[in-house]
Amino acid sequence: MSISDAGILSRSRIRAIVTSRPFLTFAIVALVWIVASFVSRGFGSYGHLRYLVELAAVIGLVAAGQTFVVIAGGIDLSVAAIVTVAAVGLPLFAIDADPTGLTPILAVLAMTTAIGLVNGLGVALLRVHPMIMTLAMATFLQGLLIIIAGGSAVTAANPLVSWVGNARPFGVPAGILVWVVVSVVVLVVMHATPFGARLFAMGAGPLAAKLSGVPIATTTMAVYGISGFMAGLAGILVLGMNGQGYVGIGDPYLLASIAAVVLGGTSILGGLGTYAGSIPGAILLVTITALITVVNASPGWRSILFGTLILALLLLSGREAARR
Amino acid sequence: MSNASLSAPGRGNALYWAIQAKRNIGVRSLFLVVLAFMVAYGFLFHGLFTGTGFAKFTQSWFPLALVAMAQAILMLTGGISLAIGALVSLGAVIAATTMTGPLGVAGGAAVVGIVGLGIGAATGLIVVKLRLPAIVVTLAGSFIIAGAALLVLPRPGGAMPDWLSNLLAGNTPAAFAVLVVIVLLWKLYLATPLGLSLYAAGENPVGAYRSGVPVDAARIAAYAISGLLCTGAGLFVAAQTGSGDPIIGTSFTLNSIAAAVLGGIGFLGGQGTMRGALAGSLLLSLMISVMFFLGFTPVAQYVAQGLIIIGAVAIPQFRMRAR
Repeated sequence: MSISDAGILSRSRIRAIVTSRPFLTFAIVALVWIVASFVSRGFGSYGHLRYLVELAAVIGLVAAGQTFVVIAGGIDLSVAAIVTVAAVGLPLFAIDADPTGLTPILAVLAMTTAIGLVNGLGVALLRVHPMIMTLAMATFLQGLLIIIAGGSAVTAANPLVSWVGNARPFGVPAGILVWVVVSVVVLVVMHATPFGARLFAMGAGPLAAKLSGVPIATTTMAVYGISGFMAGLAGILVLGMNGQGYVGIGDPYLLASIAAVVLGGTSILGGLGTYAGSIPGAILLVTITALITVVNASPGWRSILFGTLILALLLLSGREAARR
Repeated sequence: MSNASLSAPGRGNALYWAIQAKRNIGVRSLFLVVLAFMVAYGFLFHGLFTGTGFAKFTQSWFPLALVAMAQAILMLTGGISLAIGALVSLGAVIAATTMTGPLGVAGGAAVVGIVGLGIGAATGLIVVKLRLPAIVVTLAGSFIIAGAALLVLPRPGGAMPDWLSNLLAGNTPAAFAVLVVIVLLWKLYLATPLGLSLYAAGENPVGAYRSGVPVDAARIAAYAISGLLCTGAGLFVAAQTGSGDPIIGTSFTLNSIAAAVLGGIGFLGGQGTMRGALAGSLLLSLMISVMFFLGFTPVAQYVAQGLIIIGAVAIPQFRMRAR
């Protein structure tokens, strides 16, 4: 290959990256951070930005599962309930014989993954629309939560959970480290494995994918299983950060996860997108929330500002590409 | 039915009934299930067949019926709304703050109606003209609308005129009468050019557009009507409770989708009927009442509700595949 060829190749490559949706979303985040740090003292400090990313980690984890589901052509409306089930259910699995606290975490993750698999079962085998299946699952889990929590808050006396929520190895919060590891794994699975390829094929056209030999049922179940697992992980993280779990702790994460996915450029219709966009999408959401808190408005105005900003950002990055 | 006069005589008439019969196939089994629940409820609660009992039951069903219709109109055009609950709340707080004020009941009702139509039309414009996905626009919209409701009434309060509460939520079946009027108006709307375009715009937008159907206008009008129905439901909820609450409508978003889907409305647009959606909302409402009378704990209610919704959606799928 000659040098000029390589030059042209890299230049077109760079242009492709710069104009890609994930990069644009990252650019918006950077722009907002720079402007906000000039306007508001302390916003741009390392400690504050680190705190923002730590908060974004929870949304980012839920959005990881949501991205899988949305790309495969579905939607998971049960993530909020699963986050709550994980956060409230963890103390139930506490075993005295295990001082590290690993067993309850594994048990909770197994449970939430199983919940996700049941979602997948309903969608793939019973052919229930994803919105209805996951909605019904959320209703079902709401009942379950009343049994296990009974309305009171639970405190986690789990060393590993509080480490994940509070520790800062090398000055970086453990939650962010977990998010980084998950992000790398998710991106590899999504873009460099046969499973990832099947995912996009299924989302773009289920019938064509089926006729091409994609195992629709198992792929669908896997996708919802992943979403359940990620929501469980987020629930554990949020329990560690809060120190307490209560019914409703997961509620903000349903809308946030969908918004992060869409702001990151993933098509809500499926078959198009990447988790690389959901990552800055999650950070952007947290940043918007933080900015609105800085403005110090009443709850009503805060809600209006939040909705308007998301709508404005959608105009920049969320428009559906014309498909016909 | 009065529709015979609306369609052209002869061949047009035959076509009309053929389409109606085809649309009824999907909901026939649903009607049977609703009937079964109705009989069960009648056995449990003998008062159902007295005037007061009937009035009370239809009042508990009324707001759900309205939001199910609101959701169904959108789903028929291929849209969806996650802002239903927020709009119901907004309608309730506006009614509770204006109706006892200088505007009076008529003025308050007008404000509620205009706000619903306006917000609905604005949502429709954003979705249709800017080509943004409806699910995300209404998600963001739900924050804006919920915020507006909090601005109108930061905490539960306000008041409704007593006579209005007694009229709508008292011992007379006035709510049922209003519902009948709304259904008749819906039938009339379906006979207008915009109403006729509704199914075409949902089932095959490109084909409809090329045949000269005003697709964009039909979809925007659907959003506006949907908004009006939601704030109307809010007004009724305010009359029922006698005051306004900025978060009272929250549960209606999910219930409206559940009712519409139970009623056989498809997510892809153009599939389903309004009578199906109404039957779906009636089934949901009956289910909650029956479980309450059987003494189900809230836990069992949630579990049963989840299972019945999945079952009701999954069983027709199985039968279709078996055929």
